Amino acid sequence: MAHGAAVAHGEHEHHPTGWKRWVYSTNHKDIGTMYIVLSMIAALVGGLMSWAIRLELAEPGIQFIHDTHFYNVLVTAHGFIMVFFVVMPAMIGGFGNWFVPLMIGAPDMAFPRMNNISFWLTAAGFILLMLSAVVGEGPGTGWTVYPPLSSIAFHPGPSVDFGILALHVAGAGSILGAINFIVTIFNMRAPGMTMHRMPLFVWSILVTAFLLLLALPVLAGALTMLLTDRNFGTHFYEVAGGGDPLLWQHLFWFFGHPEVYIIILPAFGIISQIVSTFAKKPVFGYLGMAYAMVSIGVVGFVVWAHHMFMTGIGVNARAYFTVATLIIAVPTGIKIFSWLATMWGGSIEFKAPMLYAMGFIWLFVMGGVTGVVLANGGIDTAFHDTYYVVAHFHYVMAIAAIFAMFGAWYYWIGKMTGRQYPEGLARVQFWVFFIGVNVLFFPQHFLGLAGMPRRIPDYPDVYAGWNFVSSIGAAITMAGTLLFYYVVFHTLASGRKAASNPWGEGATTLEWTVPSPAPFHTHEEMPVIAGGGHGHSHGHGMPRPAE
Amino acid sequence: MNGHERKRFATAAVLSCVAVAMLGLSLWSPTLYRLFCQATGFEGTLRTTNVPPPSGTTATEVLVRFDANVNSALPWRFHPLQREVRLRLGEEALIHYTAVNLSDKPITGMATFNVVPEKAAPYFSKLECFCFTEQTLLPGQEVSMPVVFYVDPGLAEDPTTRDVGTITLSYTFYRSENQPTPTASAAPPSSSTAGAGG
Repeated sequence: MAHGAAVAHGEHEHHPTGWKRWVYSTNHKDIGTMYIVLSMIAALVGGLMSWAIRLELAEPGIQFIHDTHFYNVLVTAHGFIMVFFVVMPAMIGGFGNWFVPLMIGAPDMAFPRMNNISFWLTAAGFILLMLSAVVGEGPGTGWTVYPPLSSIAFHPGPSVDFGILALHVAGAGSILGAINFIVTIFNMRAPGMTMHRMPLFVWSILVTAFLLLLALPVLAGALTMLLTDRNFGTHFYEVAGGGDPLLWQHLFWFFGHPEVYIIILPAFGIISQIVSTFAKKPVFGYLGMAYAMVSIGVVGFVVWAHHMFMTGIGVNARAYFTVATLIIAVPTGIKIFSWLATMWGGSIEFKAPMLYAMGFIWLFVMGGVTGVVLANGGIDTAFHDTYYVVAHFHYVMAIAAIFAMFGAWYYWIGKMTGRQYPEGLARVQFWVFFIGVNVLFFPQHFLGLAGMPRRIPDYPDVYAGWNFVSSIGAAITMAGTLLFYYVVFHTLASGRKAASNPWGEGATTLEWTVPSPAPFHTHEEMPVIAGGGHGHSHGHGMPRPAE
Repeated sequence: MNGHERKRFATAAVLSCVAVAMLGLSLWSPTLYRLFCQATGFEGTLRTTNVPPPSGTTATEVLVRFDANVNSALPWRFHPLQREVRLRLGEEALIHYTAVNLSDKPITGMATFNVVPEKAAPYFSKLECFCFTEQTLLPGQEVSMPVVFYVDPGLAEDPTTRDVGTITLSYTFYRSENQPTPTASAAPPSSSTAGAGG
């Protein structure tokens, strides 16, 4: 273990305290915790916006939001906050930072100081985005920021510029974080932890990091051109100057489609860990699961124009993008069936993380099925920009991702805080939340099939019934969300002490070999992963600490 | 820096290059996009060519219609002198648009164009046109703008465009960002017919 000792520098003995511990933090666990706290704050802001939207939509006519531009600002901010400042920080920055080094037997991330700046750039991005809503008229562009709506002619104030800079800053943070994860996973695995023995959560973060690295610079470039169009008289997206607004859509969706996989891939990893733990079996088809994620990542880069079926692209392009999109159902199907096969014949414990994992599978299959419908260029002509699309993407990536985050929180909170959550209350919280989101989003399929358009605060009376049901669902979801925050408080205040491994024989990954809560420094002596057998027959290699 | 650290920095350097390359590609994309559209006729982008029509015309005829639009910020009148022409595939045609500056100030305009149906664009070849070139009109000045074009006989051979019997060429004039300065108004007007542009 010669190089294991070399990594444990003397400087790591120093334990900073007080505000310096957090602001100057270079510790992957503390930075992970800060990401999760940021996500929990942003989730309340983004959630409040969505409840305001549902409150307005509960009845036909305008009830509360008389400024319709402000309604668009709410829709825009809700999307941005949930994507960039709730899901990404929690899954990648939060659980990724906490558990990737623990799971591969590394003492910390490869570049701890870069890890710190990644977090603070993300936090600064969140503040800039909040400012964008209160300066000028607020960005009412939707999260897609299409010109000419986002151009200086229709958003003359500085709000869109603030939004652009928010995404630049948060994007830079994410790119640095992605480099950090890839270097850590490639170079800092413990002896015996081969690529094909890594836990699937580590695989999911690795693929996600590559998607971030390839997609986010394209968003940055597209945003830069939008910024210069707005402020410095260039014409990249303006027809009058020889530009083309469709160029923005191509660039945005070249980033935007991988972005939805950036959101859902870490969820795949989390669900694999949870299902394997509570079925007390290795993941079925480990290699297939890992390479399904790789192929989802690759194919995700060549399907972007299925978001643009209505822009007048030719029939050949629509045929290609329809088929390419349908192909994604193959690797995602591999994942679904492998999770089911993992559960098959297992002695399943229905604890809160497992309930959330199974809830995730239900939501993801629901949203996946409507995704296969929408992938067809012909059908999309009818469903484009209706509530059917809203229901589809909330099921498949938004609520599904939230379920994976809740599952991960319940699964790992004992390791992170040393205190176990209250099981009974957590199960109640699951059922309230599960019923809430389904009552909220399922009726939106019917609204979309009936032709109700998105992003409009009013609708004809014919849509009143299902909109009311949907808003009732939003109220139930709100109760479930507040209950979760109570569970968090209860756990931190009076949760019982967590054992090193509270889940028993099913939990075989390395994080369960260190005490709970995980000490400030872990794996300073690199653990050795027992050889013998192939990764795919083990699921993930049974770790044996070197000590 | 020990060997392990060097390896980490090497990996990080490669990854940084990937990120910078993707950023560069996205910033280069307007050029790539234009080249792609010109090469494939994507989005109804026309070909401007110096290649004369292939010798010999076919018996198949196609109707070409002309459409003119002016952005509301540009106080010009702009219309084609012919509404439509019927010509054989491979036959060269000359038509004219005319533009008048209705204001009392010199104004610079710039035209964009495309054809519908978009799939016919690769077979619609312009030999001379006014496109993406700035035109300055003095108060009340009227200019005639020629378009020389032909429709390639390949239109009738391509299975995806065989059904095309009518092609519409559409121009839109916008107010240019580069307006003549007041002193420049004394400058001589551009020739009465606009020059060939790209």
